[in-house]
Amino acid sequence: MQPFALNYARPAAQSESTTPYVYDSGRQLNVLSDGRIAAHDLALLRELGTTTSTAGSKTHFDD
Amino acid sequence: MTVLILTCEDDVTADMVVVHLNASGVPVVRLDPADLTGSAALSGEYVHGSFRGHLSSGGRLVSINGLRSVWVRRPGTAATRAAEPSEWLTEESSQALYGMLRSSQARWMNHPDAARRARHKPWQLRLAQRSGLPVPATLITTFPQAAREFAERYPDLVVKPVSGAHPQDPPRAVPTSRVAPDADFGAVAYGPTLLQRRIAKRADIRLTVVGERMLAARKSTAADPDEVDVRFASPTHPWQATEVPPRVADAVRAYLRGAELAYGAFDFAEDADGTWWFLECNQSGQFGFVEVETGQPIAHTIAEWLARPVPGEGAQVNGANTALT
Repeated sequence: MQPFALNYARPAAQSESTTPYVYDSGRQLNVLSDGRIAAHDLALLRELGTTTSTAGSKTHFDD
Repeated sequence: MTVLILTCEDDVTADMVVVHLNASGVPVVRLDPADLTGSAALSGEYVHGSFRGHLSSGGRLVSINGLRSVWVRRPGTAATRAAEPSEWLTEESSQALYGMLRSSQARWMNHPDAARRARHKPWQLRLAQRSGLPVPATLITTFPQAAREFAERYPDLVVKPVSGAHPQDPPRAVPTSRVAPDADFGAVAYGPTLLQRRIAKRADIRLTVVGERMLAARKSTAADPDEVDVRFASPTHPWQATEVPPRVADAVRAYLRGAELAYGAFDFAEDADGTWWFLECNQSGQFGFVEVETGQPIAHTIAEWLARPVPGEGAQVNGANTALT
């Protein structure tokens, strides 16, 4: 009784890795441990893939 | 006049826009509806024929009448981080927040009504057709026989979720996948199935549209024809900025007018003839990865759009020129 499309399902990518930044409510930005703004570190964003279009997101399907 | 950003704390893509707004001196309040009744709060009164409402988040207080724009980025579900969350509290909080925000004169990116409608993939396909965008032959059906007949007409097919959502029990992803030639379509009866003629693509196109500005990126496709879904393809080729063909640009403008969207992230498949085939338009699609790879100023363009004065407001706001630099 499984819908046809689910024949092509695969396990969702796990994103358990922790990000090296935390939200600073005063600045309304995520900051790195040395105080730098995470969004300024494009190399880091690329490495983490946190700005990437993904599939299987639990909460958002607008990728 | 303030820009209100509805998003979750870990949305580092939103940060990319916030830094531009900060640099230009435009006031920003960032609020996650999930924090309502906790670190976020609201109040609104309807007295003597007028409305006055306020929101607070992270210690910042903003008048709803003082909003110039609302950016609905990645908001959490209302009140889910409350001390005692419940479905009832979520509905109450959602109605209160979004109901009051709808009373403001602020410009939306994107308005919740338009966003909700725009998420429907079947509706997207029809609007794309009407807008003049090439759409691959598509069938959405629960009739196995209809699927078999469609496969006879179009032997090379892909299948993908109708909604774009993915099952969570257990968590799985359903990428756009090539359908085997000998596929048994019997299971089509157990769920609406979207079958689409596979485009033999030479590149994927991500076209990010912010207001009137179009920023297109192109990624050459791997040689493996079974790698249909760019989100799962081997990362062999980078995204590169590209130009939008004028006919496509006209059709995309028509699409966004019809959808009443201020922002849209379009996915196209470019075939060997250079035709851009419409696949979908994500009304809140990610853009950070494109900017990171191409250097296109998408975040800056979003910030500029959000910072525009509301109609009738002067260019000088709060004593500051709001033009972004």
